[in-house]
Amino acid sequence: MKKFRIFFDVEKEEQWLNEQLQKGYRCTNISSSGFYIFEKTDRNYVMRIDYQDRLSKQKLEGYKATYEDFGWNYMSGSWMSGVRYWQKEADGQNEIFSDRESTGNYYKRLMTYSFWLGTMCLVFSFLLYSDSGLYHEGLWGMEGSLFWKAFLFESPFVLLKLLPLILVILFGRSYYKAYQKYSMLKEQ
Amino acid sequence: MKHKLLPLSETMHYILLALREPRHGYAVMQEIEKMSHGDVILAAGTLYGAIENLNKHGWIEPVGSEGRRRIYQITEEGSAVLKAEQERLLHIISLYEGSEANEKI
Repeated sequence: MKKFRIFFDVEKEEQWLNEQLQKGYRCTNISSSGFYIFEKTDRNYVMRIDYQDRLSKQKLEGYKATYEDFGWNYMSGSWMSGVRYWQKEADGQNEIFSDRESTGNYYKRLMTYSFWLGTMCLVFSFLLYSDSGLYHEGLWGMEGSLFWKAFLFESPFVLLKLLPLILVILFGRSYYKAYQKYSMLKEQ
Repeated sequence: MKHKLLPLSETMHYILLALREPRHGYAVMQEIEKMSHGDVILAAGTLYGAIENLNKHGWIEPVGSEGRRRIYQITEEGSAVLKAEQERLLHIISLYEGSEANEKI
């Protein structure tokens, strides 16, 4: 089974992946372009997502070795992002974090991740919108049906142009969600 | 101001105690499970992060490897931290045990 999804929220992605696994699947490949490949299994699997960026080759080996000792299987995500997928057969120990401190640190890493992606999109939006309006200047001078035809024709392009701004909002939202979880853990 | 890892969390405390002997990560987890009578079972990410953190602060250090696994052991600085924590905890226990011990201090 091959499914295409794009996520802007790591926790939602984890939730969605586990829903698939609960239907009797095992994930065999995750491509950075958004394809998830599953195969049928009669065993029960769980997936956990960790976020670790800037791991040198040597550190990545140590990181993988530690998790693999605990029965987790590494699935590489996109090469440039620090999102790390871990899958294992479900048993009594299905979490990758067992105390409040490390769970809090995980949300802090997610905050940094969303913050930088959001900032990148914001800068890109400024570059994109500062030198021209969303619609073609001449459009507003048109009349009647010609105006509507031109308006409808241009709108898909405008939506495309708005994409970076939409991304800013999406990353902003996942930043805020991670922040809420982080501060909840800190308070208690 | 106090060091940001002090007072030691339960996880950090157990890891430092387990690393008085050289061990790799998974063996640390197993030893802690034994020491705590099955009460503290560390998950992979928690153990990885804690070892990285303790290593960064120089309280433990890598002393070798076994295949892909790195073996760590407590440093002198780490032992000093344990000693100070022991005194702190002994004092707290003395407070539990009555006012007599309290007056001595």
